[in-house]
Amino acid sequence: MAFDDELRLALRREEPSPAFTERVLARVAATRVRPARQPWIRWVAGMAAALMLAAGGMEYREYQGERAKAQVLLAVRIAGGKLNKAHKKVQMLTHRSNS
Amino acid sequence: MKAAAGLLTAALLLAGAAAAQQVKWNFDKLAAKSSSTVDVSLDGSLLRFATKFLSDKDDDEAKVKKLVGGLKGIYVKSFEFKKPGEYTAADLEAFRAPLHAPDWQRIVGVHSNEDGETVEVYIKNEGKGIGGLAIIATETKQLTLVNIVGPIDLDSLSELGGHFGIPEVDVDKKK
Repeated sequence: MAFDDELRLALRREEPSPAFTERVLARVAATRVRPARQPWIRWVAGMAAALMLAAGGMEYREYQGERAKAQVLLAVRIAGGKLNKAHKKVQMLTHRSNS
Repeated sequence: MKAAAGLLTAALLLAGAAAAQQVKWNFDKLAAKSSSTVDVSLDGSLLRFATKFLSDKDDDEAKVKKLVGGLKGIYVKSFEFKKPGEYTAADLEAFRAPLHAPDWQRIVGVHSNEDGETVEVYIKNEGKGIGGLAIIATETKQLTLVNIVGPIDLDSLSELGGHFGIPEVDVDKKK
């Protein structure tokens, strides 16, 4: 047999056996299937994230509130202090002019 | 007719908003010269928010809560300078300028030659009561401006001035 014929014979088109497609599909299906995660894990993770966000928000609000409160106390302290000083000076002047 | 009523409502709302406005002071010049600054700026919503954090159990805080409950704003600016003479009479005049009659009335103006301190207290007349307060207080190296917007009880404020670690000024002891 000539070399060309041997080569042609070796490379000739061959149809797969009828079970070939089924075997391939079965293997693909087997590799795709992964053990599904428990749905409650996602739910718990979501809840934890939401709780952390809420806690962070509350803490920030608390911080802002304490800061605003400190500002109010400082403002009252300064304003009241100056008013008190004026009041006392007026009292002193009145006391001096009366005596 | 509806348009006229709408215009009237808008005018009244604008008048109300203008009545509750803070005093417009320009601090840029002094801020550049000062060595340190205290700046408190609390509008109505921030004040309401802050009062939620003031305790009813603490006497002083309860008094402050009552005092600031109806206010629309508290603005304090205090400048400290390294040396005397950093602010001028013209600067003070510029701060006095918005506090003119008939809206504003100076109720107290005290000056002490002994320590060089000056305190001027202005109130805003609003109907039968006080609609606001402004204080211009100077020392040789300090200038403080206070503007309180809304009805304020001066006696309570003055009383609270002697609290929170600030001793009341006992002038008689200086004699």
